[in-house]
Amino acid sequence: MLIDVVMPQLGESVVEGVVVKWLVEVGELIAKDQPLLEISTDKVDAEIPSPSAGRVTQILVKPGETVPIQAVLAKIETAPAASPPAPEAAQKWDEETEGFPGHMARTSEPPIPAPPRVETSAPAPPPPPKTGRIRITPVVARMAAEQGLELSKIPGTGIDGRVTRKDVEAYLASSAPGAEGSAKKPKPSEAKVVAAKAPEAKAAPAPKGAASPSAKASEGKPAAAEGDQVVPWTPIRKRIAEHMVRSKQTSPHVHIFAEVDMHRVAAVRAKAKQEGVSLTYLPFVIHSAAKALRETPVMNATVSGESTVMKKDIHIAVAVDTEKGLLVPVLRHADRMSLSEISAAMDDFGARAKSGKISPDELSGGTFSVTNPGIKGNLFGTPIINQPQVGILRLGQIVKRPVVIDADGEDSIVIRPMMYLCCAYDHRVIDGVAGNGFLYRVREILEAGDFS
Amino acid sequence: MLVTYIEAIRQAMDEELARDRNVLLMGEDVGVLGGAFKATAGLQEKHGADRVVDMPISESLIVGAGIGLAVQGLRPVLEMQFIDFISCGFDQIVNSAATLRYRHGGQTACPIVVRGPSGGGVHGGLYHSQNPEAWFCHVPGLKVVAPATAYDAKGLLKSAIRDDDPVIYFEHKFLYRRIKEEIPAEEYLVPIGKAALRKEGRDLTVITYGAPVHAVMKAARDMATEVDIEVIDLRTLQPIDWATVKASVRKTGKALIVHEARLNGGIGGEVAARIAQDCFEELDGPVIRLAARDVHTPFAPAMEAYVLPNQEKITEAIRKLAAY
Repeated sequence: MLIDVVMPQLGESVVEGVVVKWLVEVGELIAKDQPLLEISTDKVDAEIPSPSAGRVTQILVKPGETVPIQAVLAKIETAPAASPPAPEAAQKWDEETEGFPGHMARTSEPPIPAPPRVETSAPAPPPPPKTGRIRITPVVARMAAEQGLELSKIPGTGIDGRVTRKDVEAYLASSAPGAEGSAKKPKPSEAKVVAAKAPEAKAAPAPKGAASPSAKASEGKPAAAEGDQVVPWTPIRKRIAEHMVRSKQTSPHVHIFAEVDMHRVAAVRAKAKQEGVSLTYLPFVIHSAAKALRETPVMNATVSGESTVMKKDIHIAVAVDTEKGLLVPVLRHADRMSLSEISAAMDDFGARAKSGKISPDELSGGTFSVTNPGIKGNLFGTPIINQPQVGILRLGQIVKRPVVIDADGEDSIVIRPMMYLCCAYDHRVIDGVAGNGFLYRVREILEAGDFS
Repeated sequence: MLVTYIEAIRQAMDEELARDRNVLLMGEDVGVLGGAFKATAGLQEKHGADRVVDMPISESLIVGAGIGLAVQGLRPVLEMQFIDFISCGFDQIVNSAATLRYRHGGQTACPIVVRGPSGGGVHGGLYHSQNPEAWFCHVPGLKVVAPATAYDAKGLLKSAIRDDDPVIYFEHKFLYRRIKEEIPAEEYLVPIGKAALRKEGRDLTVITYGAPVHAVMKAARDMATEVDIEVIDLRTLQPIDWATVKASVRKTGKALIVHEARLNGGIGGEVAARIAQDCFEELDGPVIRLAARDVHTPFAPAMEAYVLPNQEKITEAIRKLAAY
């Protein structure tokens, strides 16, 4: 008998859905309730199970097409020959069904026994055929997210081809630099997860390889000798750690430096002070960055998948140190703010960050970041990009130095407050010309001393 | 000193009777007869009939009288001839003993120990094979222990007697004379609330207590070539040593809980839930429980073997979880 597979109504107000992917092919023998396809609606994404055992005779809707509910998606021939597979042999004890989740019953291979434990040299078993659906465990989901792994490339050795923690560990070991050949892989060419290298990256710290520091940090109990203090990570520390690792793995950072003569900024500060207004150096850099971002739109951007989103608005995220950890509140429309407005907003953030009264909304939506490590910030530092942004500026210490300037056509040595300003940019998105041009422009604005 | 499990229990009571004048034993046939299983053999003779007291066949009375004496400053050790009959004293335990400290704003303690033989595997039938520990873990104010070795049986009973809160002490009768161990001649205690890591391993954690500890350890040895098992003996069931459990599961990523008590509402459910909640992102397989079937323990040996966890079931569960 030929029966229809129809688009079900997945929720009261849902009237249509998009076919995402077919999990079976025409001609394939299928069991009752076997997932046939994945669909996506406004409300939910779902797999559509087969209403019956049989053979797929027709697939009527292509992936990507939108169909109304009750539309016929496929046709299935439910011939008696295509009866579901015979039940497995009687089990010795029925914890098989009582004590174990049903899906633990092995369906693709004969019952165990597990192979003897092998430490080295044995070739890894070949990956079982992929059926479009990858089975994983929670720990594998976490590891894959942390390491940015593509699970379909990892051969699963668990029941029904499940990817287990050991499989991921073996995969990581075999794909780590220098470990090639230590484990025989069916397709070594696939066993690679290295961020694309860019030419200028040679001058910058190289992006991290596949081995993740956060993965190492999360392993087991910390080894602590007597007298050592073990401080478990707070949720905010965990988020920072995760973010830092992810950023380093995601973006090939290029760090460039400008040496900025801050004497005009110092003069503006001094003048403001006389008028009773106390300004730090930070608002000047934020102001200059905002101006330069307006002229270099590619720096004011975020990355979404394989696209760069050039942001219309300039929202600068500024790192603020608090007792609980680093917070990064966002100055919205920083390019429309005056120096004193920026300064007041920063004071407000600082006070509220310390009392814990910054709302989550104020911590999101940044399009570029500035970080100022303060008086003890040392000569310079190489900041990590605040994902998904593509650039960040870091202030160095401001130190009086003798510098050579051109005074009426003559070289002369004067004492100036100098600062090394570091800019990190994501070399996936930004080429050297744009990145260098941006930082050069920030320097020009700071040295010109016109902050109106 | 090579002792059986039951001799270790007897020694613990003997030493505590000698150490502290406030300790006394009460129960059915604990005096003249020396206990149905001889756990108190010779103690009345040695310490006197006023300190090792034969009681009428009324568990409610034994526990109730013990609570009254405890409030007056004594440390009664109350024997249930079979732990199955603790249910007759249930009200006294959960409504009186467990609530005393709370009701009096912390000003009253109730240092009683209720102990008795639990467990099956000895063809005792449904009134002499029970494992009712989970009932008591549900009640705040009680501590619950279940030793699996002679060393722990002695050390935990001494700690229980010295504890100012009511402790329910489950001794497994299958182990009474089946295990023999070297234990120190000098005095020692085993702390309440601390699990024992019986064996380190990398692949899978088995969390268990009581008699199944021995079957799990045998499985760990027998299966050493195929799977590297870590074995945790909880020893104390209330409060459970979560730090040890979680550290192990975070390491291995897989957890199997084995107990002889029934599955439904057993300790394993609580352990599994905590692991699922607190170790979710470390799990490399489902948390599995292996326990007695949800029926009364039958008398017939073949049926008893069918109902209770045994070596074969443990091996099979480990093998399945390891392969997940």
